This record gives sequence, structure tokens and C-alpha cells, in this order.
Amino acid sequence: MNTRVIVKVVVCALLLRCGRADAIVASVPDAEYLAVRAGQQVVVKLFGAGVGTLDSYGSGVLISKEGHVLTVWNHLVNTGFLTAVVPDGRRFRVNVVGTNLEHDVAVLKLETDDDETFDFVDWKATADVLPGESVLAFSNMFHVATGNEPVSVVHGVVACTVSLDAGLGRWIFPVKNPVYVLDAITNNSGAAGGLLTSSAGVPIGMLGREIRHRDTDMWVNYAVPLKGLQPVIAAILDGRRYSSNTSTQDQKSVLSDRQLTAGFGITLLPSIVETTPAYIDRIVTDSVADVAGLRRGDLVLMVGDDVVRSTSDLRERLSGFRRGRPIAVTVNRNEKLETISLRAP
Amino acid sequence: MAFSRGICGFFLTGLLFIGQLVFADGPNETLVERERRRVQTIARIAPSVVCVMPPGGQGGGSGVLVSADGYAISNYHVTSGCGNFMKCGLNDGKLYDAVIVGVDPTGDIALIKLLGREDFPFCTPGDSDQVQSGDEVLALGNPFLLASDFTPTVTYGIVSGIHRYQYPAGTFLEYTDCIQIDASINPGNSGGPLFDIDGRWIGINGRASFEKRGRINSGAAYAISVRQILLFIDHLKSGRIVDHGRTDFTVGTAADGLVAVQEVSEISEAWRRGLRPGDELVSFGSRALTSANDFKTILGIFPAGIRVPLTFRNPEGAHKTTVRLLPLHGFDAAPQLPEERKPKKRPGGPEPDGQPDSPHQAEAPVIPEQYTHLFKEKKSFTNYYFNQLHRDRLLNPLRHSLAETESNKTATWSISWKLSDDRVTGDLIVGTEGAGLRTEKNNSYQPVNDQQPSNESADLWGVLSAALQWHRLFQSDPDLFSEVVYIGTELLAPSGRPVETVFIQDGAVESRWYFNDESPLPVGVDVTMSAGHDEARIRFDGWQNNVVPSPARIGVVDPETEQLRWLTVEAFDVKPRATNDNAGNQESAVP
Repeated sequence: MNTRVIVKVVVCALLLRCGRADAIVASVPDAEYLAVRAGQQVVVKLFGAGVGTLDSYGSGVLISKEGHVLTVWNHLVNTGFLTAVVPDGRRFRVNVVGTNLEHDVAVLKLETDDDETFDFVDWKATADVLPGESVLAFSNMFHVATGNEPVSVVHGVVACTVSLDAGLGRWIFPVKNPVYVLDAITNNSGAAGGLLTSSAGVPIGMLGREIRHRDTDMWVNYAVPLKGLQPVIAAILDGRRYSSNTSTQDQKSVLSDRQLTAGFGITLLPSIVETTPAYIDRIVTDSVADVAGLRRGDLVLMVGDDVVRSTSDLRERLSGFRRGRPIAVTVNRNEKLETISLRAP
Repeated sequence: MAFSRGICGFFLTGLLFIGQLVFADGPNETLVERERRRVQTIARIAPSVVCVMPPGGQGGGSGVLVSADGYAISNYHVTSGCGNFMKCGLNDGKLYDAVIVGVDPTGDIALIKLLGREDFPFCTPGDSDQVQSGDEVLALGNPFLLASDFTPTVTYGIVSGIHRYQYPAGTFLEYTDCIQIDASINPGNSGGPLFDIDGRWIGINGRASFEKRGRINSGAAYAISVRQILLFIDHLKSGRIVDHGRTDFTVGTAADGLVAVQEVSEISEAWRRGLRPGDELVSFGSRALTSANDFKTILGIFPAGIRVPLTFRNPEGAHKTTVRLLPLHGFDAAPQLPEERKPKKRPGGPEPDGQPDSPHQAEAPVIPEQYTHLFKEKKSFTNYYFNQLHRDRLLNPLRHSLAETESNKTATWSISWKLSDDRVTGDLIVGTEGAGLRTEKNNSYQPVNDQQPSNESADLWGVLSAALQWHRLFQSDPDLFSEVVYIGTELLAPSGRPVETVFIQDGAVESRWYFNDESPLPVGVDVTMSAGHDEARIRFDGWQNNVVPSPARIGVVDPETEQLRWLTVEAFDVKPRATNDNAGNQESAVP
């Protein structure tokens, strides 16, 4: 299996670095193909719901023998009813184990029988790569492969490692840690959640979304370094919530859907597009929102004096209130505006 | 891959630098050596790359020369915008005239012939079935029509995937079993060659996944495999509109992951060979199948009309057989391209540089006078000139070798034969009115005017109908058949040797005559009497000069077993036809 293969390749690479090239040379061409095969063996094709320009397909990387899958926390994950096709063509329903906004990551789990196992990437055995190093990107771009066909592999070079000021439309790329910017067109439709490896097959990153740079409006091809994701993945797999030290300072805090439900008792429409209006889909009985008088079907228009344009706007506006503080929420109910006062939970 | 080899090379260079190790070529060569080799390879392959343009010079695409006499492959969506004659630039900086020869609209392939030289540089095909994900590749062509001196642009990449299937764009342009690459492919690259890193031709770049970033390189482009092109190229030389094949059964992926037969036409050859719904299709076209997608992918590389081997499994076990592929579209005329492939003229401005894929509205292109005879228009042909050329090349020598038998045209043949392996003997008598077979057990007779499959002998099925066609071919001027079409080169089943095929329509009877270059006389014929019945498949061996040319052996292919049984000809007598016997005889009208 693949971890074994990858480990073998890593060992080869390490030996090479140690100068014992004579022992390694004969296996070099094989190692290249092993790296390609290995990458293709651990990337799954995800199929779900798409809307407008958002694709109904994506990529993910198997990160455990039991079928945990690492991917980008995008609309596919949000809308639920995901299906994964593993490299041998088997199909599985997928559950969301956990997500993390500031790293733009989601961990999924294939619904499997107990004894089913999968080839996977050892996310703990990753490495840093430097600008100029060659990499391979594996993904289900353009859903060229749909069944048991291997996913696409693209070659490239790490151009630089920087923090990205990017996004798409009104959506702002939330990851503040540096990412690998690549010189190849890796971030195509459906590529988000794919695997980036070194040319020797060492897993080094997760392919990101299709986004544009804020200043140049150019499409950016990037991958989130796996190293920075390690504590996040570990926390999600442990059932913990992960938050880094840096996030409170320079990042806008935003309530997650789960926090919004747990704290306020509000569930919004799924955030399918960046501008999904903040319609209330469900109110938890006896919650803060219920007591204040918010109802299912209310469209939240303002929090205090701030206009709310989308579900993500609302999640941002509702964060940062101290417990017990009053919050004035203006909603459109039956074509009439009503302002309702909430107590921050 | 260059990157990882590059890295290795980098480390090794470091090692070399400290003077401890010396490596030979191969994977251990240094970056500098690799680059030198790449430069040499490109210098070697670039002369075969063609810049294909309409006579007016606006727009265009790419192509690649495949033979010294000027045959070149391009995309159908490139040549269909160029007209019947086009201009082609090579990297010697010269512009050549070229004529369209044949097209495969479904596979997006066109064959053109460059004119004016017999010593064109040409590429060497590789084996595209050996290509793997991760292989380094070089794409050469003419993106954005950049080179005014026709020097091809070279882009480098790796194979991203193999055996890819790309759904038909619009109605018919379908890419099956194609090679996905990450080398930069842009408008104008269409029709240009894909090479492996050693300079072997492995594909034709024709399509890419374009989406929100516009019609430019997206990191996912698709090349038609050389295997598919080589299966079509000799059919394209026939000047026909070459069709792809289909089967008269369908398959799906079963719950257990096997490829299961879903429906089978009950009048099909596959049904007669025992294929039934629920059977497992194990292999098709000599490739093992793992999914219904695999089947769709492999089926798409074959031209219509050829025999393809398949293996299926039912409760009794595995069975091998062959089926002849039916026409997929049956084009009468070259089809229109889907809208997205059509030219998008920008109002009020000239064509942008970057629209070379666009067909071009040439106004009365100037065709050099010495070449105008190289194009002939005819329904269901791309260029009928080339069909006549090859048909005459095969049939004129046949006519010549039959010329001395002119006076015996309507003679009756009486052939005594022996089935060598089981000592069965018999007689075959063929004349203008019918054919008869006499064996120790049975007599059977097939009249010319009322041919029925039921008249055939069960022991040697199809011999009578085939013998009648044989007699007709030898007595008639081939032009008197309702249709005589040169098909191209294919592999003859069951021997697998390459033959050239001529299709003859004679009333309701269709026959495919096979020739090779050893003799002007045919090596075999497959005769179809009517749909729903097996072909008569007859082979000839050891032609001798007799009163009419006669074979030393006649082979009969058993449709069930695909085994060839040889009848040794013991005597071949020719009896001139009685002069008063001409009542109601259709041959009497033959001049």
C-alpha cells in the first residue's frame, strides 16, 4: 500500500540526500512512477450538489485506514449528501466529522463496513518544500475521472510561500498562514481538496480553491501546507475544536454554523453561495432566539446598524458580543420590517 | 519526469562536483545532459510539424507529417475550416500546397496530403498503449499562430491521465481513450503532435478543458492516441468520410463491478455467437475491461466495418469470438461542427490572432492549376479522387491478370477438392446461373437469381454465395457492380495479416475483397447475403495460371470457431458456356 510506498520513496529520497546515491540510482525512475501511482491511490473523487458556477464535484485525500478524508471546507461539504468514489471505483456515502474555518479545511468519513480499509496518506509524515522545488498535484479536476480511473496528475514548481490576499466575489480566503503558490494550473474546477506531493511522493499540501488575488484579479494556484494542518486534523479527529493563537488578533472572528445553533438557537439556510441571504431555517425551542421572538422564515437584514447581506455576514456580526448584551436584530417578516432585541448568549 | 529526475540530477551533479561518482546516461544523467538530449530530440522532430492554414492565411492549426510522400494528420475541426485545398508551413520556412484526403469527424481526425515533394520529413509513431501517467511529453504546434517562419512552438509537460473519455462536443466530436496532459495547449495547437520525451509520436492534441478562465490552457488537455490514429489512417487514405464503429449489444457495470451485457440484438452476430444479457464481457478489442466506461473508451478507437475480438463469460465458461462493427453515424456528407467550434467573427474588426481554430471564410482561394485534379467531390466521400486512385491500384492489376481469360468470362468452373485433414472430397461447380456443392453426404445449390442463406451447405457454410461473388468478380468489369469502394488497410481475421479491402455492392449482396501486395489476385472475401445471417468467409491461397487463375487451396472460416479449414483444389476445369444458353441471364447484358 501506499503509505508503505510513500515511506519507501521518502527513504529513497533521504538516502539520496545523504549521498548514498549508488544504492539508489537504479530505483530512481521507478520512484517517479511510484510517486504518481501512490498519489493516485489516495485521492478520492467527491460528488455532491453544485449551484451556478460552483461545481458539483471535488477532491479529497484519504488520511486514515478507516476512510477519513481531508478536503476543503467548501459548498460541497456544506450542502451535505456527499458521495466519495475511492480509487478502486467503490462508492461511499460521506459524513462530515469536523471543519475548521481559519484553515479552510474539513475532515470527512466514508460510511463503511467495519472491516473495510483504504490506502491512505500519512498526514503526520509530511515535509516542508522550498520555492523552486518540484511538486505533483493530484485531483479530480474537471471530473475527467469518475469511476475507477486514476485521478489527474499535474507537475509544477513551488513558486513562493506567502500569505494570500485572495477570494472570489465577496468571499474572502480565510487562511492567514502562508500557502504554497504553484506555477502550474493546479486549482481547476473540482481540484480543491486534492493532494500536493513532492516529486518524490512525500505529501506536502492540500490543493485549494479556485480563487483570484485581490490586487491583480489573477487566478491563484495554491496549496495549503499539510504541516500547518496537522494540529487541525488531529483536533478534528479527536473531536476537539481547534483554534490557533494568531487567529484572535488579526482575523475577523466569525461564528460557525454550529456555534450559531448552539449559542443563539438559530439555523440558517445552507451557505451555498457567498451571497446566500440570511434566512432563518430553524429556531431551537426555548433558545435565545426563540425567547426573543425570531421565527423560521425571517430574513435578517440588520444587526444593530450594520447591514447583513448574507449568512456569513450574519455569522460575523453576531460574533463578539459579550454575554447578556442586548443585540438589535432587524428582520423582514411577511414583507414588514421588525426589530427584535436579543440577549447575547 | 523532468522535475524529479531534475532533482535527482541536481543532487547527482552535486556529487559529481565533489568528484566521487561518475554516471552514464539514462536516468542518472545530469540536468545538462538531459537538456542537451531534449534539445537534440526537438531538433529532430520539429521538421515533421505542420502549420495548417486556409488558403487565405487567416486562422489555422497544426498537423504532423507521417510519410515522405506528404501525408499529414490534423484535426477535423482544423481542416474543416480550411476548404479542400490549404496551405501548410514547415519549419524550413517554406509554404506548401496541400489537399484534403479523408476525415474522421467523430474522432476529430483529418488526413491531408502535402504536395510538391516526395521527401518530406515525417515523424515516427510510438506505442501509445505503453504511455503512463507521469511520462514526460512534448507538444509541438502552432499556438496563437506565433511563428511567422512556421517554427513550431514546443511546450513540455507530463501525462496526467490515460484512457480518458471526453463526451461528444455537440453531436459527434468524441474523444475516447485519449491521453490527458498538463503541457500548455492553446488555440492553434489543435491537430499538432504529442511526442514522448524520446521523440516518438504518441498523439494529436485536439481538445482541452476550458472553463471560467477562457479558451486558453487550463492544465488539462487531451490528445487522440496514436493507436487510434493508426487504426484509422489507412482508412482515411481511401478519401472516405470514415465512420466509427458500434456494437449491436450494450453493456453496463453490474453491482459486483463486472461488465455485464445488458441487451443484445437477436439478429446480431454477437447473439449468434451465444452472447446473452447477463453474460460478463471480459475483454474487447484485446483490452481487459473493468467497467462499462472502459468498454465505451475502447470501442471509440475502432473504425466501422472492422472485426474486433471479444471474450465473454457465461455459466458454461469463457468464449472468444469476433464481431464486425456497425457504422456509428453513417455520414453522407461531412457533418457541421458544433456551434462552439464555429468561427466567432468579431463585428467590425479583423480576426484576432488567437482564433486559429476558427474555420475561415476563404473567398475563391487560388488553387494551383497542376493540383486541381487532386480533388473530386462525391456523396459520402471526403475526396473521391483518392478512392479511385487506390481502387484502380488494386483492381487494374486484377483486370490485367484476368484479361487473357476474356473469352472464358461466362465459363462454368468445376472444382474438385479434398478437405485435407479428414479426407472428405467433393466438387464445387460455379457458373453464371448458380453454384453447386457436391460432397459425399449432401448436395446443395445456390441460384444467382434467388440467393437464400438456407441454400448454403451446413458443412461448408457460405461457400456457394462466396463462389458466386468470386465468379462475378472474375467475369465482370468491376465498374459494373452497383458500388465499388476502396476501404483501406485492416487486419484480416483470423490470420491477423494486413490486407487492403475493396467493398463491392452487388444487388443485395455485399462483399469485402481482401488484397495484399504479393499478388494482384485476392487473398479472401467476406460475403454478406442478408442481415441476420453469418458472413461467408472464404480465403484463397496459391493462385496458379490456369485457363482462369485458380487457387491451390480454398479456405473456409467457420463462424462458430473462427477456424480456417482448407480445401485442397485437386482439379480446376473450365467449361465454356454453351452459346444458346442465355435466356433470362443477367450476365448476358454484360459487355
